[in-house]
Amino acid sequence: MKIRGFKHGGIDSMHRVSFEAKSIENAFLPLNALISLRNGPGLAEAEAVVKLGDQVLEGQLLARSTGANSSNMHSSIPGIVRRITQIKDAGSFDSLAIKISLDGSFSVLGKRPERYRWKALNKGDIGYLAQDKGVVRVSTGEPLYPALSKMSVKQEYTLILNVLELDPYSRVEESLFRLRTMDVLDGCAIAARISKPSRIIIAIDERYSAKTLSKIREAIDSCELDAKLQLFKHKIPQDHPRQLALALGINKDDIFIVEPSSLISLHEAIVSNKPHIEQYVFVGGGAIKHPAVLKARIGSPIGDLIEECGGFTSKPYTIVLNNPFTGRAAPDLDCAVGKTTRAILALTESEAKPAPERPCIRCSDCYEVCPAGLKPFLLHKLIQLGKIGEAKAIGLDRCISCGACAYICSSRIALVSIFDTAKKADKDRGQN
Amino acid sequence: MKSNELYPPYIHSWKTSAKSTWICSGTLAPLVLWSAYLYGYKTLFVWLVSVLTSMGTEAIVSAFTKKWTLGDGSAVLSGLLLAAIMPPAIPLYIPCLSAAFAILVVKAAFGGLGSNWMNPALAGAAFAYVNWPKAMHEFVLPRVITGVDGISASSPLSFIRSLSGGADLRIMEALKSASYPLSGFDIKVTQFLNDGFFSALGSQLPEGYIDLGLGFKPGALGESALVVIIIGSVFLLSLKLIKSIIPLTMLTVFSVLVRLFGTGLPGEYLFSGDVLFALFNGGVLFAAFYMAPEPVTSPSGKLDNFVYGLILGVLCYVFRRWAAKPEGAVYAILIMNVLGPSLEKMLDSIRKAISQHRQAKR
Ligand code: SF4
Ligand code: SF4
Repeated sequence: MKIRGFKHGGIDSMHRVSFEAKSIENAFLPLNALISLRNGPGLAEAEAVVKLGDQVLEGQLLARSTGANSSNMHSSIPGIVRRITQIKDAGSFDSLAIKISLDGSFSVLGKRPERYRWKALNKGDIGYLAQDKGVVRVSTGEPLYPALSKMSVKQEYTLILNVLELDPYSRVEESLFRLRTMDVLDGCAIAARISKPSRIIIAIDERYSAKTLSKIREAIDSCELDAKLQLFKHKIPQDHPRQLALALGINKDDIFIVEPSSLISLHEAIVSNKPHIEQYVFVGGGAIKHPAVLKARIGSPIGDLIEECGGFTSKPYTIVLNNPFTGRAAPDLDCAVGKTTRAILALTESEAKPAPERPCIRCSDCYEVCPAGLKPFLLHKLIQLGKIGEAKAIGLDRCISCGACAYICSSRIALVSIFDTAKKADKDRGQN
Repeated sequence: MKSNELYPPYIHSWKTSAKSTWICSGTLAPLVLWSAYLYGYKTLFVWLVSVLTSMGTEAIVSAFTKKWTLGDGSAVLSGLLLAAIMPPAIPLYIPCLSAAFAILVVKAAFGGLGSNWMNPALAGAAFAYVNWPKAMHEFVLPRVITGVDGISASSPLSFIRSLSGGADLRIMEALKSASYPLSGFDIKVTQFLNDGFFSALGSQLPEGYIDLGLGFKPGALGESALVVIIIGSVFLLSLKLIKSIIPLTMLTVFSVLVRLFGTGLPGEYLFSGDVLFALFNGGVLFAAFYMAPEPVTSPSGKLDNFVYGLILGVLCYVFRRWAAKPEGAVYAILIMNVLGPSLEKMLDSIRKAISQHRQAKR
């Protein structure tokens, strides 16, 4: 099979930590769940519908979506509403959050699954269910249904099931796709019913073994999903939408990317009537004793999950939420799992490899890895000099914030965060 | 900085500027030892003085700018590179003053590491050539040939130039007939190779190349042991510490030109220049691997590097052929250091024009 990949730049020499999940473990219920009403920066807050001291059931609605940028939020545990407070999430977005203390028995959640129930439902019914159960696109935090249904007006578009995980650690999507292939594929069929893509591509890492591939192929054949398996080069940032579109040779507006974990939650909402209160999280990194993929309740403190994986073997240098390239550092061990959390990585110093910042020596390594073909060292210099206009002229806006440049920079200049800050400042200025 | 205020990405490549510089310096260590073996332990002082002066100067500059920069290793590397260009028996004040000049004037005055528009070590070398031309061209014979230290001699390159041309001999034979000293080792090995290997191919290796390759000849400290330089540069290339395109293009272009047009030495005709002799002399290899691809002063991007290496190769050849100075490679690189930015600008505007042309067509 032809292996696709983008041409210019990227990092393909990275050592991948070996890990294969045998199963997905259920994490314990947390004693307190902190449920954030906003799923990501740039998104809206849902409106709380419970009051302090209310008794809530597992899966009960806590906050209602206010539009396309927020989703319904449900209580992940049965209990009492202890606090409704403002939290400051690292990664610079604030949000109102509801704290529930575990109390009372918990009901068996959801109906008995009926695998083909969705076949009898029309698009509107599916949409209603997905919205009601607060299903989001796990990669961005925006509600899944409106985004998908927007694509259905297009004549031609490609739905991409993105199973690529290219950094050395992340394993959630891969594990879900391997261990729950049928559910993911059914979820994909449901998504296809909503949005009517002209074709479906399943993006797989070229490093999958032939055995795994043939198993996946069998599964696809057995469920009559008209999807094509496509191998992609193991190269950062191949999983970025722009790079996927580039590698496939299509316009990036004509693709919609969805990942297995979003599809699982869509599938559970439709087939089992279950709200999105669980999240699949990989807990790993060099400082974790027993790395594992856990099914955790939303709102669980990350410290609890790390505890369940045996705790730390050594002092972690950073704890990163999600991808080490584009994710963010966790402010403390109390910060909670949200609808976009897919990995908790406790990295040792020898993995992070920090070093004091030095002046740029123009080694142009950053230029060599930049997938957008930019010269990060020039951008950096221009931004330092305050010449944002010139930086834009040489392509600041084409930067996809993949982090490859700052990974490779031997002078440890925080290139990508400097670009992000400059882009944001420029945007703010444009609005005023 | 608190650990929770870190910036993405949270993992980095193994390379840090300090590490690469130290590794690069490390690959020069065998060269230091080899030169001590060749010319006696006193040569170690040349290395030492050069390195210590540049470190000391860097420390003084650090104290003034309140930025401690010795740890990044760049001062040590500059010192080593500078010493490599010095002849073995140089009076010690020359490397000392040149190193101080390199760090103080060329590096620090322009804002320190990353802002220097010339390779400090090379500028220091040029400074020495200009101020003490005589001392910089006085070489000594290695002790393997003579048995004692410090017998002065001219380098093979200038020696052969002084021979009257027109002889019908290849360079090596000319050298030999003029009774240029060879080591016993060379004579043995060459004989062995000729008996066992080259005779089977119906050719003969003239005596002298083994000496050149191992550095058994008068020459600067760093050009002495080619084998050691090549091992070091293989290290650098495989760890991707230098931009490989520059030295490879430079050496290819240089060799091709030498082969085609010769270097004006006896026994060289059109299409039969002596490439080995040209590469083994005048420190071209050392300059190509350790000086030319220095990051700060070389351009970025594959095409730019290719053009840069190409012009360097041509310049090296021109200097070798007509300027008749062994340090031609040093001047060639310095010139390109200065021209580098304009070269990049020129290529950029060409690229822009091409892409605009393409867009206009569409
Ligand atoms: S990788 Fe870092 S040091 Fe090298 S050119 Fe880019 S910004 Fe400068
Ligand atoms: S973050 Fe931007 S500048 Fe850096 S490599 Fe990625 S696209 Fe290029």
